[in-house]
Amino acid sequence: MASRSRSIAREELLRIIGICENIEKSGLDPFTVDVKALLVRLRRILETQKSLETVLLDAETLYKVALIIALQHKWLRDRAASLFVDAQLITVKILSADLKTLAACLTSSWNPIVFGEQLTKGMLKDGLDYFLSLPTRASKTMDSSHDIGQDDGLVDNVVNLFYQDTVLEDEVRRLHCEMLETVGDGGRLDYWRFIEREGLARRAQRAYVVSFIVSEGLAEMQRNPLTGEIYLIPYSGKIERKNVVSLPISLGAGKNG
Amino acid sequence: MGEQQPEQSQAKRRLSTAIAMLLFSSHRLPGVRGYELRRRLGKNYLKVIETLNHRLEPLGLKVKILFEAGSDGGSPEDYDRARYFITLSEPLSLSEIVAAGWRIDELAVLAASLALLFSRGGKAPSRDIIEVLEAKLPRWRVEASIERFIRRGYLFKDEDGVLHVGWRAIAEVGQKELVRAVAEAGTTQADQPATGTSSGESSSPPG
Repeated sequence: MASRSRSIAREELLRIIGICENIEKSGLDPFTVDVKALLVRLRRILETQKSLETVLLDAETLYKVALIIALQHKWLRDRAASLFVDAQLITVKILSADLKTLAACLTSSWNPIVFGEQLTKGMLKDGLDYFLSLPTRASKTMDSSHDIGQDDGLVDNVVNLFYQDTVLEDEVRRLHCEMLETVGDGGRLDYWRFIEREGLARRAQRAYVVSFIVSEGLAEMQRNPLTGEIYLIPYSGKIERKNVVSLPISLGAGKNG
Repeated sequence: MGEQQPEQSQAKRRLSTAIAMLLFSSHRLPGVRGYELRRRLGKNYLKVIETLNHRLEPLGLKVKILFEAGSDGGSPEDYDRARYFITLSEPLSLSEIVAAGWRIDELAVLAASLALLFSRGGKAPSRDIIEVLEAKLPRWRVEASIERFIRRGYLFKDEDGVLHVGWRAIAEVGQKELVRAVAEAGTTQADQPATGTSSGESSSPPG
């Protein structure tokens, strides 16, 4: 009999905790809970059940009721701050208003934040400097990064590419014409020789533009897997590709790398 | 005159630093915290912000300070922990916002969601909000818009599926103005920007 009444008390306390948690989580009106009646019930349970489990559960319930009282305080403060506009009224108004009116309501109370998201030349340079300063995982990679760092003005040239006034399209057109003019026997030319035609300082920039020419379909790239040689096959017009693959080329490694 | 030159250039440099910090963000959230400004601009950073505010005023911009929940700007620590943004000082008109690429139905979803959340103490189960909005728009569109506004920081959804007012809505949207505008909807003419100041837990720098 005692265990049955203990289990009833436990269930009742758990139910009260459940109600309090539901109100706390869902943001419902905390005044829907009769705090006074709950406290009376808690006192009655505590008077009849003295087991440790019930006392602990009772304490937890009391804590949850205290949270509800805090929510009631916040609820009142919020309502006073918003000049007490009933949620029901707002719902009815939303249902009766058309979309344009609702949108206008927002615009009349909206001061958007102004901020910029832009990659600047300085940020790009910082990023590259940081990347080059990172410890390498293999000696080969270390040599490559060393080569890039040693290459006179290579990093600056790549950075300048994002900053220059010349439109990239013009540069693409210029190099494509150059490719067509210098194409050798078999309609192809050596990739490394081509990108180094204007010296090592412009190598990265030319490689960058060549990647656009190939991506656009104005030239094809051929790579001999045995010798590692890479050839460019320029076309006068764009070609359609059925299969597209990416071909990463490390400039630091050079043609022999 | 010659002695004032370095001071003037220092003040100018501080203003440039302040505006760069406030406008350009390298992380997800725009704006900066007060302690970040203090570190770069010195202990009188609020004076710099005040001067910047005067400079921004003719351009239709202002510095907005968003205090953390529970603080009201009563102590210097509140200002250190607050987040500082640059916002438009006056709301845009509906046609201007639409011209900027926003859809009317998206704006309506945001207006209705925020108005409902504000009127219910800042949070409500998402199904309640969707139920109301479903009366006006297809459910998929409502859900897609709400997801988009969650990503942009205007709304926040916890693991229990309860929607909250997001940090960005607190920073950008005047709670009282929006609730009042929705409550008065139908009696006022659409597409007329109000000229009231924004409310919420924000303020201008102290004089």
